[in-house]
Amino acid sequence: MQVTLKILRYNPEKDARPHWESYRLEAEPMDRVLDLLHKVKWEGDGTLAFRRSCGHGICGSCAMMINGRNRLACKTLVKDLGTEVIEVQPIRGLPVEKDLVVDMEPFFKAYRAVKPWLINDEPPPERERLQSPEERERFDEGTKCILCASCTTSCPVFWVNGTYIGPSAVVQAHRFIFDSRDKGAHERFPVLGSTGGVWRCRTAYNCTEACPREIPVTQLIQEVKRAIMFGEF
Amino acid sequence: MYRGREGQWAFYLHRISGVAIILFLTLHVTEISSSMFGPKWFNALLEFEANPIFGLGLVGVAALVLYHALNGLRIILMDFTSWGVKYQRQLWYGVWALYVVIGFPMLFAMLGHVFGGGE
Repeated sequence: MQVTLKILRYNPEKDARPHWESYRLEAEPMDRVLDLLHKVKWEGDGTLAFRRSCGHGICGSCAMMINGRNRLACKTLVKDLGTEVIEVQPIRGLPVEKDLVVDMEPFFKAYRAVKPWLINDEPPPERERLQSPEERERFDEGTKCILCASCTTSCPVFWVNGTYIGPSAVVQAHRFIFDSRDKGAHERFPVLGSTGGVWRCRTAYNCTEACPREIPVTQLIQEVKRAIMFGEF
Repeated sequence: MYRGREGQWAFYLHRISGVAIILFLTLHVTEISSSMFGPKWFNALLEFEANPIFGLGLVGVAALVLYHALNGLRIILMDFTSWGVKYQRQLWYGVWALYVVIGFPMLFAMLGHVFGGGE
């Protein structure tokens, strides 16, 4: 089958603003959008810039807006899109560096702000910090995050607010706040409870729809809100 | 346009209706407080507002207030129950079902009032 791949191109050294370019390609229904991008870059226009690494939905490099929704190019099949014209543009709300490559630094700054590591000043036990299967299950969803930024850059508040840390950072915070071994919730709450924190979430659910790992993102954000409000976690 | 689903549109409409309510309240408070300058100004302003354009605006604001109120209940359920987020889509359809039951009779009655010239 033939498809038209429309890519929002931008070269900061030449273009005043991004513009659409179309590529007519031969594609198989089981091709991934990543395969089509490779075809353009390797066989057509080598100047096309995009990020990808593993190609198997685990590194989180190839998040982009495909047919109006954030998805991983490596997990999106041509047949699942069901359209002959496929539109690809960079994820929103982060500065575009070139074509589909965005500056991820604001995203990772928000990630670091919630201290995504185990905080526990108690002396370590002789062998390990034991945890029951139920206690491990409590924060399981958050451990699936691959930091692809699909959720954060699908959030209407993140696009315009400028200070909101975004859904992904809250998911990361949730992963540690609800970990029975972690004692750092009160170090994280000042950031999460500030004006750029969880209260900016207005439950638009784009994050939950966008997550390629099927994390119930909005649910986790709501749990962090309640943890701050009621002090129960 | 980002192709979000029900939640995104529920949020946008909630925002837009919120802004409309603020604008209406500002106008309303201005109108009422004009009575400070005596009956002459107050009556003149009310007379000016008694035309069908303002009447239609009022019906529009009432329509948005009702959405804002019903979706507000949905948001309360999502914020304070363990199941609200899971059923947010169904809750939104519930908002529209209630909207039809409560809103349509109310809005038709108001339209009759605007164009029928009162009681």
